[in-house]
Amino acid sequence: MTRWLPRTYLALVYLLLYIPILVLVVFSFNDARTAYRWGGFSLRWYEALFNNQAMVQAMWNSLWLALAAATVSTLIGALTALALHRYRFRGKPMLQGMLFVVMMSPEIVLAVSLLALFLMVGLQLGFVSLLLAHVTFCLPFVVITVSARLRGFDNRLLEAARDLGASEFTVVRTVLVPVIMPALLAGWLLGFTLSLDDVVVSTFVSGPSYEILPLRIYSMVRVGLRPEVNALGTLLLVFSLTMLLLSQWILMRSNR
Amino acid sequence: MKKMALVGVAALSLGLAGCSKQDQPVLNLYNWSEYMPQEVLDQFRAETGIRVIYTTYDSNEAMYARLRLLDSSSHYDLAVPSTYYVNKMRNEGLLAPIDRSQLSNFDNLDPSLINLNIDPDNAYSVPYLWGTTGLAVVADRVDPAEVTRWEDLWREDFVGRVMMTNDMREVFHVGLRVLGYSGNTRNPDEIEAAYRKLAELVPSVRTFNSDAPRMPYLEGETHVGMIWNGEAVMGQEDMPSLTYIYPEEGAIVWLDSFVIPRNARNVEAAHKFIDFMLRPEIAALVSTEIGYATPNVAGKALLEDDVRGDRTSYPTEEDLVNAEFQEDVGDEALQIYLRYWEMLKAGR
Amino acid sequence: MFGQAFRQPFKNAVLLLVWVWLLALVLVPNVLVVGTSLLTRDPVDFLTLPFTLENYQRLMDPLYVQVFLHSLYMAAVTTVLCLLIGYPFAWALAGVDKRWQTLLIFLLIVPFWTNSLVRTYAIKMLLAGNGLINSGLQSLGVIDQPLELLYTETAVIIGLVYLLLPFMILPLYAVFEDLKKELVMASHDLGAGRLPTFLHVIVPLTLPGVIAGVLLVFLPAMGMFYVADVLGGARNLLVGNVIKNQFLDARDWPFGAAASVLLTLAMAFLLLAHRFSRRRLGEEGA
Repeated sequence: MTRWLPRTYLALVYLLLYIPILVLVVFSFNDARTAYRWGGFSLRWYEALFNNQAMVQAMWNSLWLALAAATVSTLIGALTALALHRYRFRGKPMLQGMLFVVMMSPEIVLAVSLLALFLMVGLQLGFVSLLLAHVTFCLPFVVITVSARLRGFDNRLLEAARDLGASEFTVVRTVLVPVIMPALLAGWLLGFTLSLDDVVVSTFVSGPSYEILPLRIYSMVRVGLRPEVNALGTLLLVFSLTMLLLSQWILMRSNR
Repeated sequence: MKKMALVGVAALSLGLAGCSKQDQPVLNLYNWSEYMPQEVLDQFRAETGIRVIYTTYDSNEAMYARLRLLDSSSHYDLAVPSTYYVNKMRNEGLLAPIDRSQLSNFDNLDPSLINLNIDPDNAYSVPYLWGTTGLAVVADRVDPAEVTRWEDLWREDFVGRVMMTNDMREVFHVGLRVLGYSGNTRNPDEIEAAYRKLAELVPSVRTFNSDAPRMPYLEGETHVGMIWNGEAVMGQEDMPSLTYIYPEEGAIVWLDSFVIPRNARNVEAAHKFIDFMLRPEIAALVSTEIGYATPNVAGKALLEDDVRGDRTSYPTEEDLVNAEFQEDVGDEALQIYLRYWEMLKAGR
Repeated sequence: MFGQAFRQPFKNAVLLLVWVWLLALVLVPNVLVVGTSLLTRDPVDFLTLPFTLENYQRLMDPLYVQVFLHSLYMAAVTTVLCLLIGYPFAWALAGVDKRWQTLLIFLLIVPFWTNSLVRTYAIKMLLAGNGLINSGLQSLGVIDQPLELLYTETAVIIGLVYLLLPFMILPLYAVFEDLKKELVMASHDLGAGRLPTFLHVIVPLTLPGVIAGVLLVFLPAMGMFYVADVLGGARNLLVGNVIKNQFLDARDWPFGAAASVLLTLAMAFLLLAHRFSRRRLGEEGA
């Protein structure tokens, strides 16, 4: 079969995926106030962005939340995946079913139900409510990622380790963790990504004490006024590309 | 190598944790989007050390719902409802009284804009800005001389090019005025008649926008429709052909006021902020930047002539013939409006 | 042995943790929503007795039926488009040299890091009457009047497809990865032509991925209210907009909750269909 056809197709779709982002990058250097005319090259929006304390604060808040949500959900998710893989217990199909349902739930349903819960128990909307919500929707994705990796894992290796007198903890630490490490990283990254990308759930469960990016820009984006948002998008893109290259580099080094 | 990565992540987390620490006093201000210049907030912080957290809403309904929702958890120290919502919130006991003794600059306010029937003696509210909702026309596309009345929006050549604000009361105000009724009616028959009239307009409406009503004009999507006067002023910077017109049936007039929610945590800072905003030079700066009219007489005196003389921001008496102040219509009538509003927006 | 002694507490602790989490943050909240949907609206305290089915009756109002159907329609078109674009994409991706695959997958995810709201806004800049597409086409002389792109149904669908495409591609890619190349070759060797191979071998084998992708696209597509807000100009509402408005603007929680329950039921229906199709597939394979 010809090979250029699939490749051209891939390139085309990637192009479409990146066109809006390129537009963002280009207009972040636009001197004019709207995206509907070009006013020459300028860095003024980057300056404006850094002077916009609320925005910068919201960016840090978002990153910090994504970091925390990814870490917590990876911890719980990985343990859950291990338990699902290693043990038989009552209610196992139900647990799996429930995780699946959470993964498939429309975000808006989750958002509404969590808002109802938080208000009922009187939890102040802020970092904690956001973290609980974000971990909840990241969790099933982590479980799936780690489970997929474990499925290909030979259980006899664990039995052997235990026969040799290793404690459960040692077995987990020295045999299992290295095997699932790539899946842990992938799961963490997935959680981080989903958390950073989320709009729907955050709209419902955040309060003014901990404002994150999507809420800060929600009104601004519809206004379409502040090209600082373009500058911000560009910075986030640069950040993610750097992380991407870094992880590729680490992967290549460890494969060697 | 992997350990290195983990250490890196840990270090990053700590760094970020440091960033999110907040030890300064904080004032939570809940306001319309783009309704206060950043420099005002910066200056307030420089003077008092109080950091203002500015969160936004795009409709009175959203603001009211959120304040109700978070009533007991004391999230907000200040909000800026429009005319009739001040009345509603005051009647429902949602507001904390204003302590006039902490407002040294209160007397700068225009006597004709205080002590209104929405809040006698301004016991619960302090005016921030006032403005009008009128007609906008993109002069490159539509001859402004031919658009003088709300009813002109129904013209056939405007199909698909009309912009309406995403504000139930304002849109109904237009429908009611075109039919000759009051924009504050509670009469179900009049509301229904307005609905029928507006239903004829809806197919022409390209979009409803209350975040920034100027944007659909700047985007080139709409050529005629409703706009707030301040938005028109801001829009003219990027699109000089954007023209503001006072409709013959009467513009909609509103007054946005500072209020303090009853469970506000930082009442003292809230008063400080209100008093700061009442300073003539701050009021003048806000009016110049945002394009709405300040109720602050001393502030208005400081304005540049071209700002003060701009009829878009500061209408003359004859511009306001037939103009009506928005008033509370009560929950019963509100439900009727709401029902027709949903029907209007779902119609296509 | 120590191992045995450790094993039980470890297992119990993990299971307890995840069960508590899911019960407290998924099951209880959803029960709350169902409960809310059966109560009456109160202008001050949000909720009040008596219990009623009125909220569900209101959903049957032609007004909301229309919104719901329109939302279903837009979600369905989005899903079909995602599948049409994503299926060949995932296939081609699985055929790429292994070394490049990770990088390409990453490139699929990178846009997510610039929050989806920011990307929706970028699409708006493209589609506007004075935006890049229109001014580009106008300066090329292809059109003389700007196309009506923004604030239309099409704009909402473009936005949804753009944001949700990766959710279609990833599960499809996973099944294509698992798909044994040998199997296809075997079918080839046995004399089946290309189209029969596709229809009888590849399609059934990738069906689980297709269904997973459809689920991950179709349901969220009905809830992404911000896409409808930014690109639809408040004229092309999604179910998500109705729910959000009821909760955050109109303060009619019972009605918003009823709409949310309806969406949950739609999900339950699709999940059952999913299970059913898997079971049938399993039986065929056996």
